[in-house]
Amino acid sequence: MKLKKIRQQFADTMLEVGQSDPNLVVLIGDISHFILQPFAKACPGRFYNVGICEPTIVSMAAGLAKTGFYPVVHTIAPFILERSFEQIKLDFCYQKLNGNLISVGSAFDYSNLGCTHHCYDDFALIKSLPNTQVVYPSSCAEFDILFKQTYNNSYLTLFRIPEVQHEQLIDPFLIKFGKAIKITEGKDITLVATGPQLKNAIEARNKLSGKGWDVEIIYVHTILPLDLPLIYESVEKTKKVLVVEEHNRFGGLGHDILQGVYNIKGMQFSSIAIDSFMHDYGTYEELCSQAGLSSDGIIRVIQNNFKKHM
Amino acid sequence: MHEEYRKRIVEMVRKGKDGHIPSAFSIVDIIAILYKNYLRFDPENPDWEDRDYFILSKGHGCLALYVVLKSCGFITEDDLNMFCKPGGILGEHPDCTKIPGIEASTGSLGHGFSFAVGIALGLRIRGKSNRVFVLVGDGECHEGTIWEAANVANNLQLGNLCVMVDWNGSAAQLMPRDDFPSKWKAFGWTTIVIDGHSEAEIKSALSNINFCVNGAPIVIIAKTIKGKGVPMLEGHGIWHHKIPNEDEYKIIMEALS
Repeated sequence: MKLKKIRQQFADTMLEVGQSDPNLVVLIGDISHFILQPFAKACPGRFYNVGICEPTIVSMAAGLAKTGFYPVVHTIAPFILERSFEQIKLDFCYQKLNGNLISVGSAFDYSNLGCTHHCYDDFALIKSLPNTQVVYPSSCAEFDILFKQTYNNSYLTLFRIPEVQHEQLIDPFLIKFGKAIKITEGKDITLVATGPQLKNAIEARNKLSGKGWDVEIIYVHTILPLDLPLIYESVEKTKKVLVVEEHNRFGGLGHDILQGVYNIKGMQFSSIAIDSFMHDYGTYEELCSQAGLSSDGIIRVIQNNFKKHM
Repeated sequence: MHEEYRKRIVEMVRKGKDGHIPSAFSIVDIIAILYKNYLRFDPENPDWEDRDYFILSKGHGCLALYVVLKSCGFITEDDLNMFCKPGGILGEHPDCTKIPGIEASTGSLGHGFSFAVGIALGLRIRGKSNRVFVLVGDGECHEGTIWEAANVANNLQLGNLCVMVDWNGSAAQLMPRDDFPSKWKAFGWTTIVIDGHSEAEIKSALSNINFCVNGAPIVIIAKTIKGKGVPMLEGHGIWHHKIPNEDEYKIIMEALS
């Protein structure tokens, strides 16, 4: 069965929330226009395809928040985050205003469009600002649940929507904002995965189980605030942690985890992340493979970088 | 006109050892007349839901706004005396998280106008009749976001929005080939050009605005003189961010007396 896209779930969730909350307003930068038409029809006067002028859209959204609305800004990641960073920083965060940024084009999802359409530093950018939250939902259920849990709080929240999903069935009652999820128990190494990489993490675990590695997998959908206690408890047990993320190595999830667990005696750390522009073309999966973001890449790092205690 | 405000601005800069005097002098007449005659506000309740909004997009002119906010009762003489001092609420750019009556924290040029477009849109969605005024600098109009916002506001027909431009010639220093009013007209704005130091022209322009829920937004382009009121300060020279010494202070105060 073909999976519903998370972007479609975004449109469906806007429709549902918008019908019950008259303070939800959606601004877009000329993408997803057609799938948001049901919201536009059901919530007249609260949908604006503003145009291709992302910094102004972000400032306008802050102005809407000033008048009591819960604004949603939706467009492609580099334009909403990197181009409009000063608007996010000053118009939202400096002024302590609330809002929601919903990006698509996660990391190198738009693989063939080249680096102009890539964005690997969004976690780092938003985390550097006060009064922010970062959510990386990688299934439809996660987007729907986490958006409803957070959209109307007092923070500026980034939702990074990936094109590809992790395809794992997770009990909806376990999906709670700010809480990581232990997917499997293990005693030899903690494997922390975020985004679609959860799928590769589970594949790698299954392959490694026949090679004497008992892998504990922790899945993170909320990057900020990070559920460090769960991760710390796991690493304290295994003394080894590998973080897998489609983000720049600097300022990503691995960075935060290392800062959180560095004082565990004898702890070994490694991460698979992005180090520079992803300059090649090909499918998302092919670029993942080049960056080591694959089950084989995970196995390689675990076998090469970690010493298993006998 | 408004010599007392100008004197107070100079005193604040002397005491705070910082500030943009000429940029404040070019807009103080506009801001004073707007607050005293047109803007709806309640200093006892700065967040009054029926208030009009004023956003100073060219945040470095904030000394003009501070002295007017004081005269309107939003802030106190003590606040003015603490300009640029530790523990004070007034800095060289306005901070809405600290100062009653300030709607937007501005300073980085090209933000306040787009923010004001969002406020105007929000008020329209709510069916409210509050009016939104935003003051931008002509130099600030080098920023691309100014024209993004001008384009968007016209296409949304935000007739509850009035932009005032401090046309003091800063922009023309760098880009003199610029038919400034024609640009705004080309973007679909109802465009009025006035003398920004004439009480009669400022009042006439503000009185004749036909605010509406749906209609072309309005721009009042006010021809002003940077440093207006003190010949030594006028123009685009060293005084942009200069602190007067004792002798210069005396000359300025004499010119304003």
